[in-house]
Amino acid sequence: MSAVPRPPRLPERIFRWYCSSAQVEDLMGDLEEIYRQDLTRMSAQQARRRYWRNATVLLVSYAVKRRKQHAAHHPLSSNTHPFMMLRSYFTIAARSLAQQRFFTLLNIAGLSIGMSISLLFIAMVTYISQYDTFHVQRDRIYRVTTQVLDGDNNREYASAPLPLFEKLQQECAAAGTVVRIQNQLASNARYKENDVPLAGYFADPAFLDVFTFPLVRGNPATALQKLNSLLITEKAARKLFRDEDPLGKIITLKEYGEFEITGVLRDHPKNSHMQFEVITSYETLLAWQKIQPKSLVGDSWSYFHGNYIYFRLADQAQLADVGHYLQKAAQSVYARPDQYRAEFHIQSLNDIVPGPELYNSIGPEWGYLSLYIFAALCLLILLPACFNYTNLSISRALKRAKEIGLRKTMGGQRSQIFQQFLTETVLITLLALVGAFGLFLVMRQEFLSMLVASNALELNADLPTIICFILFATAVGFVAGIVPAAYFSKLNPVQAIRNIVPSGAWGSMFLRKCLMVFQFALSLGFIMSVAIVLKQYRTSLTFDLGFDKANIVDVQLQGVDPGRFRNEFSKLAAVQTISLSGSVLGTSFPETEYVVQPDQSDSTFAYSMRIDQHYLGNFGLQLVAGTNFGDAPGEQKNQILVNEEFLRVLKLGTAIEAVGKTVTLPDNKEILTIRGVVKDFYYLLLNERIQSFFFRYDAEHAQVANVRIVSNDIFQTFTDMENTWKQLGAEAPFEARFFEDEIADSYVGYFSMVKICSALGVLAISISCLGLLGMVVYATENRIKEVGIRKIMGASTAQLVMLLSKSYFRLLALAVMIAVPCTYLLFDKVLLRIQYYRIDIGVAEIVVSIGLLLLLGLVTTLSQTWRAARANPADTVRHE
Amino acid sequence: MKGYLGEFEELVLLTIAALQAGAYGVGIKEDIEQRTDREISIGALHATITRLEEKGFIESWLGDPTLERGGRRKRFFRLTQEGKMALHHVKALRDELWRISKINLALPQ
Repeated sequence: MSAVPRPPRLPERIFRWYCSSAQVEDLMGDLEEIYRQDLTRMSAQQARRRYWRNATVLLVSYAVKRRKQHAAHHPLSSNTHPFMMLRSYFTIAARSLAQQRFFTLLNIAGLSIGMSISLLFIAMVTYISQYDTFHVQRDRIYRVTTQVLDGDNNREYASAPLPLFEKLQQECAAAGTVVRIQNQLASNARYKENDVPLAGYFADPAFLDVFTFPLVRGNPATALQKLNSLLITEKAARKLFRDEDPLGKIITLKEYGEFEITGVLRDHPKNSHMQFEVITSYETLLAWQKIQPKSLVGDSWSYFHGNYIYFRLADQAQLADVGHYLQKAAQSVYARPDQYRAEFHIQSLNDIVPGPELYNSIGPEWGYLSLYIFAALCLLILLPACFNYTNLSISRALKRAKEIGLRKTMGGQRSQIFQQFLTETVLITLLALVGAFGLFLVMRQEFLSMLVASNALELNADLPTIICFILFATAVGFVAGIVPAAYFSKLNPVQAIRNIVPSGAWGSMFLRKCLMVFQFALSLGFIMSVAIVLKQYRTSLTFDLGFDKANIVDVQLQGVDPGRFRNEFSKLAAVQTISLSGSVLGTSFPETEYVVQPDQSDSTFAYSMRIDQHYLGNFGLQLVAGTNFGDAPGEQKNQILVNEEFLRVLKLGTAIEAVGKTVTLPDNKEILTIRGVVKDFYYLLLNERIQSFFFRYDAEHAQVANVRIVSNDIFQTFTDMENTWKQLGAEAPFEARFFEDEIADSYVGYFSMVKICSALGVLAISISCLGLLGMVVYATENRIKEVGIRKIMGASTAQLVMLLSKSYFRLLALAVMIAVPCTYLLFDKVLLRIQYYRIDIGVAEIVVSIGLLLLLGLVTTLSQTWRAARANPADTVRHE
Repeated sequence: MKGYLGEFEELVLLTIAALQAGAYGVGIKEDIEQRTDREISIGALHATITRLEEKGFIESWLGDPTLERGGRRKRFFRLTQEGKMALHHVKALRDELWRISKINLALPQ
């Protein structure tokens, strides 16, 4: 005979689970008996189906309900309200927390620190998720983005070519209302004696219709119709007009001429991906471009910097239609595969922030990537804190085993004990939330100041954020508490009450040790990061850039005639030499040009800068061959000084040979003769490789005067310079900075990295040390008797300390062994790769970091073990 | 007399009495199904049994483990004194009614 046919498993299990502790053996027996009879009468499948039906019928029958009510200790058997039980859990949790004050404090401190940075993240995400929600028609507004297919990076830009606007408007009805925006409007606005820098957009009149930027004054239908009409936000209007009514006033924008204020915009919310102070019509830009000698905004399909196209989908139109149209348009425009190629995509307004990271974004955009990185960092800090809690709770098992044993003997259900421990954890995390919130308030400002786009972010603790915080804390409580709760609820009451706790539980300490090692490795990683980044920062500042940067003050000319500036400033005693340039060297990206050799065989992108004849000497740049610019401006207009890399890339031979050769700028067909060759120098931040570079002569349009000063009294010198500046009749205030400071500023990125790493490091170390402290305290408490007896038998304090601390030292050593190579590799192979001219990670950084970690670890360990070893054995052994 | 005895309840009580020592869930179910030629649901049966037990008409005990039920025990039922009384009461009521209405109930031959 074959094996006894078993009834289907699933219904049987469900039945048993549902009935829980109720007496239903006979009912299940009945079910099985019927099933077996059925098997003899019908197919197995039918029998199974009937089993299901019978089980279901029985499950909902009065019989089971009644039996469950009579069952012992079933949750449904008690008549008490579920909240009564919760209250009881709460009371017990509060009592046990109050009883174990030290561990409670330790846990709260650890979790507070661990959660604090996550709160920043939550507040940030809550805020970012509300971006652009104020646009009424946001579900119908889209943006055209451009992906450049260069086969290499395939960068996607938030901007789009200007000609696409007309095509889209004329040829694609589904696109509805199309708006073009140009975001390069930045100018000094002048009204009476007030001079205020304003920034904003050129936009089509439909801008006000599509987007929800309401006008406080003025008529939205006509406000942007006329040329040179300007909308201004309330805030900017207050700056410019003070108390006057702005409407109808005429103001002057330095570059663009006179504008009439035709409307006042209500200040847009901070959570807008478009940030502006003024709006003027797009036609104004087009009109202005016509009268410019050389168009600054290329009207081509391949240049679209700062130009954006938004559209509001027509009623009942399908987005896919626009998509198809754009696809075809891209194919017809970029027809030749060997040339510039790009395709257009559609992005919903709702997907802009947070959204994918795009190049040339119109305003603040929070990319997913940075959010993910931030989230990962938060977890890196939060998880160790949770581990610590788990770890400490379970190490206290011995102390609480009796309580649990008794509870179970008295009829406490496993699920009840589980819930009670979970309640306890959630209570702790909620208490920790208070501490974390305090830290959050402290860190908030500092955090905001580190972010580039901080003006578009608020970390307010408003109601939704607070609710998220509480939910988060509860979730953390569940994560941290689930393992201890499961462990405690599983304890065998007989063993527990006799204080026999399965010490092998929780992975026989192995997992705990792993966690400890992981935490310390993490901490060490952060400490090392700080040391490495600091060194890189210092090195960048003292790096030999190939020119002399000391004692140079850069003065922003702000429209002052360079010749007059030179005349007046040369008279000052402290001023040694003055040179003029288009931008500040070594701090930002200079202009780029496309350069071709005359025979067209080689071409390259080259950076360029406009200087005068004194520049090289002033900065100590060395000429390898040829001559510096002379005093006659006319003839050297088409002459350039190039760097050595330029020669290498364009294959112009040696420096001596290259002098006199010519190159072409294909953009405007200029032919330039090489007048001299300059030794390679670092004209960019150190994260970029030295590339082709050339100087052109242009003293008239210089933006910056580089003044070399020799002075013992810097303050007096600056005062003198400022007075001279005023004599020049300049309207703008005197703006001058030491070149060295400007360079230091451009490395400020390192500094925020140092800050971030230090902050994370401090958090990680605090959490690790708290965890270690908890473990050491617990272990020494448990061994106090052993220590006493050893002491009586003649062990010295030093021996005892060693005995108690040995295992922790081993963990620390292991952490060092893991963290050092990992951090080294991370920085050496990944992070510092971004830096082209980088430092090597020295032994000193590693040693100092390890020293710091060991010091902290040892102090934590020894403080406890020392106390235990010094204890009077008479007290400790007598105990109990 | 406490508790009203429904038709199905009466049927179950009588079957338990008839089956004597063999009165347990499936046994009762089959017996009723055979005699009345109607299918009864196991849920309904146990619900009724539970009510009868609550009313105190029957009592139950667990038997020995049995092989054909996956080693599970059967719960056997038997009538209590009150159960018997209830049945008698119903029967007396019916008998009386029969006696009174005999003429009207005579079936045409």
